[in-house]
Amino acid sequence: MTLLRRYLYLTTVACFGTFAYAQNGAESINAIMPEKHFDILEKYCLDCHDAAIEKGEVNLEDLSFDLGTDLQTAETWQKVLNSLNTGEMPPEDKDQLTDEEKTVLLDDLSNHLVTARKILSDNGGEVTLRRLNRREYANTLEELIGVRPDITNLPDDQANAKFDTLGASLFFSSDQLEQYLNTARRTLELATLAQKTPEPGITRIEPEKEYNPHYLKVAGDLLDRAQRYYAWELAGGTDDVAKAHGFLDGWQAGRQLNSFHEYYPQVSKYLAAPENKTGAAFMLTIKEGFTQIKLPVLQWNQSGKYIIRVRASAYEDDPDRFRYLEFTRKVDQNAERLGWRKVSGSLRKPQVIEFEIDHPPGLKANYMVHKRTHEDRGDKNLWTEFRKENGYGTPWGIWVDWVEIEGPIAPGIEPGRYENVYFDKPADQSAPDYARDVIRRFAERAFRGETPSPEFLDHLYSRYDEAVAEGANLKQALIDPLSIILSSPSFLYMVESTGNEDSELLTGTELAVRLAFFLWSAPPDDELLSLGKSGKLSQPEMLTAQTQRLLSDPRSERFVESFVHQWLEMHRLGMFAFSGRQFPYFDNAVRDSARDEIFQMVRTLMDEKLPLRNLLKSDYLVINDVLADYYEIEGVTGHEFRKVPVPKGSPRGGLLGTVAFAAMGSDGQRSSPVERGAWVLRHLLNNPPPPAPPNVPQLSRLEGEVLGVRELQKAHQEEAQCAQCHRKIDPIGYGLENFDAAGLWRDMEIVKSGKKNKQQTSFEIDPSGKLSNGTTFDDYYQLRDRIADEVDNFAYGLTEALITYGLGRPFGFTDHTLAEEIVVKTKPGGYQFNEFIHALVQSKPFQTK
Amino acid sequence: MKKHFTRRGILRSSSTLLALPFMESIGFRKFASATQVVAPPPRMVYLGMGFGVTADKWFPEREDTGSNYTFPKILKPLEKHRDGLTFIQNLMHQHSQDGHSGSTFWLTGANRYAVPGQSFHNSVSVDQVAAEHLGDETRFTSIQLCAKGNSNSGGDGHGPGLSLAWNRLGKPVSGLDTPIAAFHRLFSNDDTPLEKLQAQLKKQRSVLDTVMADAKSVQRKLSKSDNEKLDEYFQSVREIEVRLAKEEKWLGVEKKKPNPPIDEPGESLVGYPEMGIMADLMVAAMQVDATRVLTYRMPVDTVIASLGAGISAHTMSHYSHGERRDVSEMRDLHNAKFLSSFIDKLKASKEPDGSSLFDHSCLTMGTNLFSVHTLRNCPTLVAGGGAGFQHGRHLVMDDEKTPLCNLWYSQLKGIGADVDSFGDSTGVINELFEA
Repeated sequence: MTLLRRYLYLTTVACFGTFAYAQNGAESINAIMPEKHFDILEKYCLDCHDAAIEKGEVNLEDLSFDLGTDLQTAETWQKVLNSLNTGEMPPEDKDQLTDEEKTVLLDDLSNHLVTARKILSDNGGEVTLRRLNRREYANTLEELIGVRPDITNLPDDQANAKFDTLGASLFFSSDQLEQYLNTARRTLELATLAQKTPEPGITRIEPEKEYNPHYLKVAGDLLDRAQRYYAWELAGGTDDVAKAHGFLDGWQAGRQLNSFHEYYPQVSKYLAAPENKTGAAFMLTIKEGFTQIKLPVLQWNQSGKYIIRVRASAYEDDPDRFRYLEFTRKVDQNAERLGWRKVSGSLRKPQVIEFEIDHPPGLKANYMVHKRTHEDRGDKNLWTEFRKENGYGTPWGIWVDWVEIEGPIAPGIEPGRYENVYFDKPADQSAPDYARDVIRRFAERAFRGETPSPEFLDHLYSRYDEAVAEGANLKQALIDPLSIILSSPSFLYMVESTGNEDSELLTGTELAVRLAFFLWSAPPDDELLSLGKSGKLSQPEMLTAQTQRLLSDPRSERFVESFVHQWLEMHRLGMFAFSGRQFPYFDNAVRDSARDEIFQMVRTLMDEKLPLRNLLKSDYLVINDVLADYYEIEGVTGHEFRKVPVPKGSPRGGLLGTVAFAAMGSDGQRSSPVERGAWVLRHLLNNPPPPAPPNVPQLSRLEGEVLGVRELQKAHQEEAQCAQCHRKIDPIGYGLENFDAAGLWRDMEIVKSGKKNKQQTSFEIDPSGKLSNGTTFDDYYQLRDRIADEVDNFAYGLTEALITYGLGRPFGFTDHTLAEEIVVKTKPGGYQFNEFIHALVQSKPFQTK
Repeated sequence: MKKHFTRRGILRSSSTLLALPFMESIGFRKFASATQVVAPPPRMVYLGMGFGVTADKWFPEREDTGSNYTFPKILKPLEKHRDGLTFIQNLMHQHSQDGHSGSTFWLTGANRYAVPGQSFHNSVSVDQVAAEHLGDETRFTSIQLCAKGNSNSGGDGHGPGLSLAWNRLGKPVSGLDTPIAAFHRLFSNDDTPLEKLQAQLKKQRSVLDTVMADAKSVQRKLSKSDNEKLDEYFQSVREIEVRLAKEEKWLGVEKKKPNPPIDEPGESLVGYPEMGIMADLMVAAMQVDATRVLTYRMPVDTVIASLGAGISAHTMSHYSHGERRDVSEMRDLHNAKFLSSFIDKLKASKEPDGSSLFDHSCLTMGTNLFSVHTLRNCPTLVAGGGAGFQHGRHLVMDDEKTPLCNLWYSQLKGIGADVDSFGDSTGVINELFEA
C-alpha cells in the first residue's frame, strides 16, 4: 500500500472537466485520478492484483494514479476501464462494487483517460506539414486556372479526423499522385476548351406540347381499361374470358380497374382545367409521370452562365410549400438541387421568374424545373395519402406557361485567370523561350511565393521540349509540365520552413499563405502575397487590416461553411433518411435550407458584429422563405436569407431552436435525447462526454416495448456503466423533447408501432430536468436560458475548435494558454465572432511553425 | 540517411520495404505463360464487413463446437460449404477502442495511441505482408477493392482508411472503388505497340524524376517531423517506381483473359449486385493469376438500400427490435449468399493440376466490430485450403481475448511466409492445423 501512496504526491484535482480549464489555467491540467479511488481499488482489486500476486500480470498496486505518466500506464488503466465496463471484473464470485462506487469511479476514470490520451498525443504545438485537403486543392486549381476540377476521385479528407485541415491526418498515397496528375491535365484541357464561347441563344419550351398528348393518351388508356373491365364483367368475369378482354386473368383485370380509379380522377381533372391548354400544372402521379420541364441538354463544350426563365402561376388555394419551383442539374444519374423560387403570381396574372445557372466546362448536364421533392419514395407515398384525402392526389401548387433558357450570357470562367497562365507571347520572343516563361511563372504562382529549384525547372523544360519534338503544338506541350507542377510537393503541401534555422517564426510569405488558407481555403491573392513578401504583413495593424479584408471577401464563405460544418458535426444532417409519410413538411428544400441557416447565423454574427450569445439564444432568426413557411413565420418573401425578429411565442432563436439541430439529434424516425444532449455538451457547454465505451452489454430489458423516449432511456440509469455519463447527457435531451425528429414543435410524443406502423401511442412530454452543475429547468425555454448563461464555456469551446482548424493540428494541452488568452481578449466585446479570428491570427502560435 | 543513397539505389538494395521481383525476365516469361506446371500457389482474400453482425444469430451457439455443430440459420446459404469453412470465436484485438471502426485496425491489430505525440497510428496490414511473400510473380502485387462512399464517416462502419490495406509505414492504401475500375485495372489490354508502351514508361519515370527534383528541394527546407510527413510522398513515388519496374517486366505480356470471359461491368451497378460483380472479378483475377492477394472492403449502406431497406447502415447497426433487426439479418443473409456463390465459383475453377482454386485459397470474412460498439469476439469465418487449415469446424478459443493477430500469423505461416510474428500475436492457432 505504501508503494502506491508514493505515486500520490501530486495534488489531486477534484474538479474535472473543461469548465475548469478556463479557471485554473493550463498548468493544472493533468490526468491524475482522485485519491479517493485508491480505497475502491484496495477493497475490490488488490486481493489479486497487488504487487505480490499480479494476477494476469496486472499489478494495480504500483500503478501510477497519474494516467498521463506514459503510454503503459494509460494502457493499464484502459484495461481497468474496459473490464469494469464489460462487467468482467471483479469476477462474479468476488465482492462487487456498489452502483454508486462504480458510477463515480467510471466517471472519473473515463474522463481522465480522455485527458491522458490528449496529454500523451500532444506534440508540443508543432504544426505538421500540411497537404492541401480536397476542398483547398479544388479552390486552388480554380484560382490558378479558372476551372474547378472534378475531385470525385480524390479521397475525402474529412473522414480521417475532426477537421480536414489537420496535417497529421492528411495522408498521401501513390494512387493519389496519379490522380493529381490526371486531374490537373484534365482541368488544363478544360480551361483551353472553355475559351471558345458558344453562340448565345434562347430556347423556349411550351410544356403543354409534351404533356397534353401524354396525358390524353394516359386518360385514353385508363378509360379503355375500365371499359374492358366492365365488358369482361358482363361476359361473366371469369379467368377464362379474361384473355378475350385483354387481361391475363381476373386478378389482373381487377388491378387494371383499380389503376383507373386511382389515376383517372386526377388526369381528367388535369385535362379539363382550361389553363392546361396553354401550359402545364405540376401534377404528380405515381405511374404516369411526374410533370417536370426538361431543358435542352447542355454539352461539355457549352460552358457559361445561363438564365432560366419560367412564366408561372400559383394555385392560391394550395398550401405554401407546394408553390415553389425546384431547379435541378442532372449528370448521369445524380441529381443536384440548385435552388428554389417561390411563385406568387396568380393564374390571371402569371409572373416571370429568373434563375441563373453556371454550366461548367466538361460537363454534360440536364437542367430541370419541377416542384419540391422528398427523398426516396417520399413523394409517391405522400401522393397516396393525399389521394385518400382529396380524391386526386398531391396538390399541383404551380402552373407553368413556358420555360426558356438564355445563354451563355457570360463566360463560365473568371476572366483573367486563363490569361494569367497563357499570357500573350511577346512578338520578339521565340516559342521555346515563351514556353519557359509560362512554366516558370506558373510554377512561381503555384508554389505561392516559394522559388522553384533550377533543377526542377530544367526537368520541366525538357518535358516541354520532348513533347514538341514529338509533334505537339505549344499549348499541348505545356499541359504536361504544368500538370506536373500541380502534383509536386511545393504545390500540394504548405511548406513552412521559416527560412531560418534559429527562428520558429514564419516568414511573411508563409504567414500570408497560412492566413489565406485559414479564411479562404485558397491561396493568397497578389495583394496579400506581396504584403507577406515585403514583411509588412507581420505588422499587427497590417495583419488586422488584411484579416478584415479577407473576412469581407466572398471567399470567406468557404471558411464559414467548412469550419462551421465540421465544428458542429453537421454531417449528421445528411446521415439519416426521413420518411415523407412521417414528416411531410421536411423535404429536400427544408433540409438544404436548414444547413444554410446555420451558416447564415454565423455569417450574420460576423457581418453585424453581434455577441456570440446569439447562437445560444437570440431574438432574431436568419431565414429564407422556405424556412419561414416551415417555422410558420409570416412576411418573409424571397429566397435570400435575412434577419427577422422572432415572433412572440415562437420557440425559435438560437441553435437549439433550429430544424438542423433537431434533425441532427434524431435517427430520421424518433428524436434522440442522447444525441441531442451529447451534442449540447460537446459544442455548447464544452464539457464533452467521453466516447461511448466499447463492449458494454446491450440493454435489452425494454426491447420490443412501446414506450415514450424518456421511459426508454431510463434503462441507461439502471446500469452503473451507463449511468456515469447518461445522467449528464439525457436530461438535456429531455428538455428538448418538444421538438420532433424534424424540428417541429409538439406537445405529445407520438410513437408509431406494429405492422406498417399503424398503431399510435401518445406520451406526455416532460421537459423538466437538471444540469450536471445542479441548475434545474422546467421546460425548453428555461433550459435554453441556462445554456445561454454558459456563454463563457461556449466561447472556450469555439476557441478550441478555431485553433484546431486554423493551425491544422489537434488542440493540445499546450494550447490552453492560448485559448485563455483569446477568451480573455474577446470577452469584453461580448465575444464577437471576428474577434476570435483576429485574436488567433495575432497570436504567436499562429505566426510560428 | 537519404543523403547517402540514391532513390534507385535504395530501390535496388532494400528488400524489406520493396520486394521487387527478382528474376530473370526469360524465366519469368516462362512462368507467366505457364509452360511448366508448377504447384498452384496460395491466394489470400480478405472480406471486410464494416459494421458488425446480428449479435446472437451470426455465430453458431457457443457450446456447440466441433464438427457437428448446428449451422447458424441466417447464414443458411453457406451451409453447403460447411466442410470447407471454419467459424472461430473469441478472437479480438486488445488495442481496438473505437466502436465505429470495423476495418481500420482489422488487418493490423495496431494501437492507435502507440506513438507518443500522435493521435493516430497504424501499422502494416496482414494482406500487405502476405503480398510481400506472394506478390513477386504476378502482375499485381496485391489488389484492393472497396466501394464508392464507404470511406465517409459513419457510412459503412469501416472507420478511417482507404481500403482494408495499410502499407509498411502504416498509411492507408487506396482501393478500386467500382467494378468498372477494377475490371480495367485487371483485364483491359492496351493495344498500344510495345515501343510506344516503353516510351510511355520512360515518360512516367521522367515525371517521377521531375517531382522528385522538387521534393528534394522541399526536403532540405523542412524540419525533422515535417520530413517524416513528406516521407509519405517519397514512399508514394517509390511505390509507383516499383509498379513501373514491374510493368516493364510485364511489357508485351498480354493481360490474360479469364475463361469464361467477363464483360465490362455497367457503370451504375451499386449495392448487392455490385458485390456480385466484384466477386466475379476476384475469381477471374485469381484464375488468370493476375494477383494472389485481394482485399475487399464491402459496401454496407448501398447494399441494404439495394435490398429495399429504408434505413441507413448506421441506423441499422443500432439494432433495436423490428425493422432494424430485420434489415440486419437480411444483410447477414446476403453476405452469406455472396460468400457462398464466391466459393461456388472458386470450386468450379480448376487449376492446371486438377485441384480447384478454392483448394488454394485462404479466405477470411469478418470485421473488427462484433455488434453495436462491441469489439470482442470479432466475427470471423475462414475458408479454403490455401493456408493448410483443417476445416468443417466451429472453434471457440479458450481464452476470450485470444489475439486476432494469432489468426493472421497462422495464415502467414500457413502460406509459407517467413515471419516470426504479426502484430500482437502470441503464436499460431494450432487447432487450425490439426485434423
